[in-house]
Amino acid sequence: MNGPAVKPIGKPWLLASPAVLWLVVFGLAPLVFMVAMSFWKSTIFGTRPDFQLGNYARQLSEPLYGTLMLKSLRIATASTLLALVVSYPIAYFMTRLRGVWKSVFIIGLFMPFWTSYVVRTFVWLPILGRAGAINTALMWLGIIDRPIDWLIYNEGTIYLGLVYVYTLFMVLPIYLSLDRIDPRLIEAAVDLGARPWSVFWRILLPLSWPGVLSGCIMVFLLGIGAYVTPRLLGGPSGIMYGNMIADQFLSNNNWAFGAALGTTLALVVVILLLITGRWIGIRQVFTGGRF
Amino acid sequence: MVRDPFRAWKVALWVYAGTFFFVLYAPLVTIAVLSFNESEITGFPIAAFSLRWYRAVLGNPVLLAAFWHSVVVGVATALVATALALGLALAFRHDFRGKGVLLNLVLVPLVIPGIIGGIVLLIFFGYAEVRSSLMSTVLVAHVNWVLPFAFLTLYPRVHRFDQTLEEAAMDLGAHPRQIFLRIVLPIIRPGIIATALFSFSLSFDEFIRTVFVVGEERTVPVQFWTMIVDRLAPELPAMAVVIILISMAVALLGFTYANRADGAGS
Repeated sequence: MNGPAVKPIGKPWLLASPAVLWLVVFGLAPLVFMVAMSFWKSTIFGTRPDFQLGNYARQLSEPLYGTLMLKSLRIATASTLLALVVSYPIAYFMTRLRGVWKSVFIIGLFMPFWTSYVVRTFVWLPILGRAGAINTALMWLGIIDRPIDWLIYNEGTIYLGLVYVYTLFMVLPIYLSLDRIDPRLIEAAVDLGARPWSVFWRILLPLSWPGVLSGCIMVFLLGIGAYVTPRLLGGPSGIMYGNMIADQFLSNNNWAFGAALGTTLALVVVILLLITGRWIGIRQVFTGGRF
Repeated sequence: MVRDPFRAWKVALWVYAGTFFFVLYAPLVTIAVLSFNESEITGFPIAAFSLRWYRAVLGNPVLLAAFWHSVVVGVATALVATALALGLALAFRHDFRGKGVLLNLVLVPLVIPGIIGGIVLLIFFGYAEVRSSLMSTVLVAHVNWVLPFAFLTLYPRVHRFDQTLEEAAMDLGAHPRQIFLRIVLPIIRPGIIATALFSFSLSFDEFIRTVFVVGEERTVPVQFWTMIVDRLAPELPAMAVVIILISMAVALLGFTYANRADGAGS
């Protein structure tokens, strides 16, 4: 804070009240209502208020739901780790740049991510599909004589899609934490004879750890609830937990059960955040440690 | 230079960065190339160069309506979210009870998966008997999503500027309202504009929350999604290019103002 004891203008609660009202009415209330509805009952006649645990019992008794949750956790974890490996060197690369080049690469990095992920997921169809760019190129080169089908519609494509769409959320926090490291620290280590590998392992990685964790949490959160990517790139058996939640509302018309699935997903996310919160303040993940 | 143990690593890093940016942009370039393909089927080979699909996009009233809807709700979202975020950001310059709880409340939409952000509004508005429409349910869904980003963009720019200016005005007997309008507001204006532009951009791209509460007036991503899922429409690449160009233009403008805000403030 700045030294002089000048009071900022306005009354804090008055200034915040419109946003607080909005957040309580449109943010918190609907969330609480979903949790309440998860104890209701949906029949062909509609969804009625009730208090019963049937929607949760069903999730436990039918193996489909547990399996799908594990699959979604696996896909989110794998995509997160892949995104980390892909992003770390780029984040480091960005910190090495100076002047105009730095601006050019930063804007170049951001630009694609400002387009809807629906569009950025769609673009893979004409690349990986039967008449896609890769098949056409391989056939033209004479490497294959008929299109290969396994390029798309499998779990690997989901990883690719998620990493492609969400890498920025990994690069950015790592970049911000790497950029804060005093370059003289690295120079000193090198002068003292440190090898590149130990510079990474003993200086860069420990000091950028908050950024790494932030990025991992962001990408994991975005991956665990994925709907578009598995639907477009995962093929018939590629659905994830989010797709099943959506189906309860868009086709099965089983709102109470959908609410229970939604509550389960929200709980899993919150529990995972609380566990990770032991290593890093959760707020720091989203605010970059500005508070 | 006697030795540089990092030389090989530096070369590797540049090669890797080149590959990364190639993979980042190649799909977008591919889609741009395909958008000029005469063929009914999206893919290769390129039958003939043609502007046919751009004419199809720009001549289709349904698609033009979708663009109009997105612009309308984007502007509305930007106004509402920026106004709410400005109040929050000014409030956060104070120390007050419940500040931490409030910050958590603001960040909730970032933590909750988007699909849940969509279904809770579907349920909520369904039972409140609010019909799905652009300026009711969709606007709420978008502001919910955009508000935390708007706050996180605006807060540092409101927080960092030189408060001695404010102090001087106060010593000279200026009213809080005068201080706000004649000192605080002009200084943070680029930050406000940047926040509004980023908010518009996030709203313009929003899909997963919107799809559950969209009603008749589809936004661009929802329309795009429908066209993929229904029949892989041949005008998709051309439409993708138009969407990409709009998003990038707005984002670039946002960056310009964000830069100006950071230059002016501190």
